Amino acid sequence: MQATPVLLDRDETIAKVVALTEQAAAQGARLVAFPEAFVPGYPDWVWRTRPWDAEATALYARLFDQAVVAGSPATEILAETARRLGVWLSVGVDERDDQDSTIYNTLLHFAPDGSLAARHRKLMPTGGERLVWGTGDGSTLQVIDAGFGRLGGLICWENYMPLARAALYAQGVDVYLAPTWDNSEVWVPTLRHIAREGRTYVLGVTSCLRATDLPADLPGRAALYGDADDWLSRGNTVIVGPEGEILAGPLTGEEGVLYAEVDARRARLARQQFDPVGHYSRSDVFRLTVDTTPRAAVSLGGEPARAAAGGGGS
Amino acid sequence: MTVLRVAAVQAAYVLMDREATIDRVAGLTAAAAREGAQLVAFPEVFVPGTPLWIDTQPIWDSDEEWFGLLAENAVVIGSPACDRLAAIAAEHGVWLIIGVNEREQHGATIYNTVLYFSPDAGLAGRHRKLMPTGAERTVWGMGDGSTLGVVDAGAVRIGGLICWENYMPLARFHLYAQGVDLWIAPTLAVGDGWIATMRHLARENRMFVIGVNPVLHADQVPARFPGRDRLLAPGYLEQNGPWLDEGNTVVVAPDGAVLAGPVREREQTLVLDLDLRAVATARRFLDPVGHYHRPDVFRLYVDTSPRRAVIETDGGTR
Repeated sequence: MQATPVLLDRDETIAKVVALTEQAAAQGARLVAFPEAFVPGYPDWVWRTRPWDAEATALYARLFDQAVVAGSPATEILAETARRLGVWLSVGVDERDDQDSTIYNTLLHFAPDGSLAARHRKLMPTGGERLVWGTGDGSTLQVIDAGFGRLGGLICWENYMPLARAALYAQGVDVYLAPTWDNSEVWVPTLRHIAREGRTYVLGVTSCLRATDLPADLPGRAALYGDADDWLSRGNTVIVGPEGEILAGPLTGEEGVLYAEVDARRARLARQQFDPVGHYSRSDVFRLTVDTTPRAAVSLGGEPARAAAGGGGS
Repeated sequence: MTVLRVAAVQAAYVLMDREATIDRVAGLTAAAAREGAQLVAFPEVFVPGTPLWIDTQPIWDSDEEWFGLLAENAVVIGSPACDRLAAIAAEHGVWLIIGVNEREQHGATIYNTVLYFSPDAGLAGRHRKLMPTGAERTVWGMGDGSTLGVVDAGAVRIGGLICWENYMPLARFHLYAQGVDLWIAPTLAVGDGWIATMRHLARENRMFVIGVNPVLHADQVPARFPGRDRLLAPGYLEQNGPWLDEGNTVVVAPDGAVLAGPVREREQTLVLDLDLRAVATARRFLDPVGHYHRPDVFRLYVDTSPRRAVIETDGGTR
């Protein structure tokens, strides 16, 4: 779903998600995927402002207010939309915990039964993003069974982390989501590579917006953003098959929906040629451990159990 | 040295003829050196060429003479053939990186190996492919973890993997962690999907990448080659075309931009200058083993010990 968010307006953007998901469901879609940090939008200003300028701080304040809290009315609407339409709905959000202040770049996966089936917090923000987003821990690297196949994904340049990808391959990912802000021409080869490496379908999903799409009251709007030629993101949405073949896209310069049929069995059969965690792995040479324990900054309530104290990726 | 002139040689081998193929290596290296190349990269198993029969014939279907030729013409480390390659590098003062069918002196298993010869000190590195692909598993064995080193060539650190081994994320990561500025991927892989992979690798580790392929037309298989008619059955050529190795040689910058190639269906040596400073500056964006790694979440252990078939002991009786 290559769409334009209403930047820093959570409710308006969620209304778009609902309307667009209805459209896609009417076309028979069973999985609907939205871009990185779509609600309430990608903090593009981190690339345009001096880091601690007043505009940057004002924009951060707006992002903080408009961020999505899991279990809040905002996610209830998304969950209810997935349930009502009977679809899997994957949406990138700027997310934070209710009582906490750090914002995460998160991908939420809602199941057709209306549950939040999985949540992935980006492990490592890129460059200027590090001024607004925290880092997720290893507890949200899961792949889930979506019925039509196993669903997982990584966010933007996290897709350049070989070990994170290996963690998903090991869980049998058949449909791999890669929401991104990356507009570059070389992003598409990266998704083709991932499809070939994991023998998985890859859905790269990108926002599309230009300066004229921005709300009039956006802090620093006149100083930071220009006219219709000033693209924040032209879009780069693409769907790739499990041998690296492009099934749809890349779409640029306009909003639009790309549709493709995915067949998890085809992905699994493609692994006859290459299976990065099976016949083409060398588990005698390489051993990857992933610490998937949730890592709270502070654990209140006394000493952890002895086993847990020594636990984690050893 | 911040600018390195490299040559990627897309050429034809002389099928299953080691000495004639090394003659070609000598001529092509001399030509590249005349153009100022400081590093010359040759394709996967260039000496003595691709065991074509694993794709053109059913497995083990009257292939004993061909395998015999392969074993006979394979390169043994420390043999005169290996010395010849070292001498070519020394004569022209270049780094010579070349794929060979390799075996132990008294062994019959063939390994898919890349050899790194330095301009002045002979064999500086060796990598045996960890995992052959599909039918390749019927002619090549698997390397152990002991040949996954990066070669320090002064101002540039060179590493790489062979063909689809490049799809092994853990193998790549292990090499990235040793610091690689220039990645050499000798391969037989054809098509745009492979080019996408070369571009991805460049961008993943912010390094230069050379993908280098052989090219061979059916007409270049010597007329006297044993069982030539069976090897190149008309039905096979009709279905797959006359290019037995199509070529796909490409050079990519650390931002994923294609600098030269892909070259297909012809012999050509790509010669170009790589400004090595681009590696460090590009890694401010992304460094997969540094600021963009999560060592608290991921731990990769690599067994780099040589794994010989037998460990001899004194039986504990000493």
